[in-house]
Amino acid sequence: MKIFDTFKISASGLTAEKMRMDTVASNIANATTTRTEEGGPYRRKIAVFRENLEKELDRISGQSETVSRGVKVDSIIEDPTPFRLVYDPMHPDANEEGYVEMPNVNVLNEMVDMIAATRAYEANVTALNASKAMFLKALEIGR
Amino acid sequence: MSTMNDRTMQLINKALNTAVYRNEAISNNIANVNTRNYKANRVLFEEELKNAMNGLKGNLKTTHSKHINTCRSIENITPKVIKDTSTSMRLDGNNVDIDIENANLAANQLLYNALIQQASKKISVLRHVISEGSR
Repeated sequence: MKIFDTFKISASGLTAEKMRMDTVASNIANATTTRTEEGGPYRRKIAVFRENLEKELDRISGQSETVSRGVKVDSIIEDPTPFRLVYDPMHPDANEEGYVEMPNVNVLNEMVDMIAATRAYEANVTALNASKAMFLKALEIGR
Repeated sequence: MSTMNDRTMQLINKALNTAVYRNEAISNNIANVNTRNYKANRVLFEEELKNAMNGLKGNLKTTHSKHINTCRSIENITPKVIKDTSTSMRLDGNNVDIDIENANLAANQLLYNALIQQASKKISVLRHVISEGSR
């Protein structure tokens, strides 16, 4: 039904932004992690969004058409930029020259991403509340 | 043409439907504000409605399904969702302007409320008649 489709769209936006927030949190938490499952330091993760398109039958013409149904997280990719080299000969993971490969996470970038995700989340909440207010108003027809 | 299904009620119905469509399109744009290469959805309706209304003035009356219809009737006009590919606002190819979307969201909500009020007024007129004007 149309009304609940709108809610689902806003909800998909909320889910996607929360996912982005999770990747940001993971990046900040692992900003100095030098040991991972795959070996080597932690690589920065980036959430990639994709528009969620669905096939739907048109009620009047009966033809199949593509409609937008919000957003989805397409994949979580790893940032391919090189690792930071930090001079710390006492570190157990230091190489022969005394340099340690640190994750390619820039905490400043993560903060900016975090704020962007927060604002986008808030925008989705606003859209959801607007839809809710509209449809509550529809219940008042004929009062 | 009955009291409940006259031109006014038809138009209110159509406009309410369009407002719901537009609300959905705006929600979609806001949900995709961080999606790379996403192009905003827009709902086209008012222009087509205007054309149809203008066409009605010089319209030939059709009282039979086989009569020649000179313009599209209001029932056949449905809101259309299109992609706005004409602009590119940001480096990542996304053209959603969150400020404009928010403004449109608020305006659309007000329009919807106004239409609901109109529909209620229309029904209250009918109720007035049913109760023979005595409340």
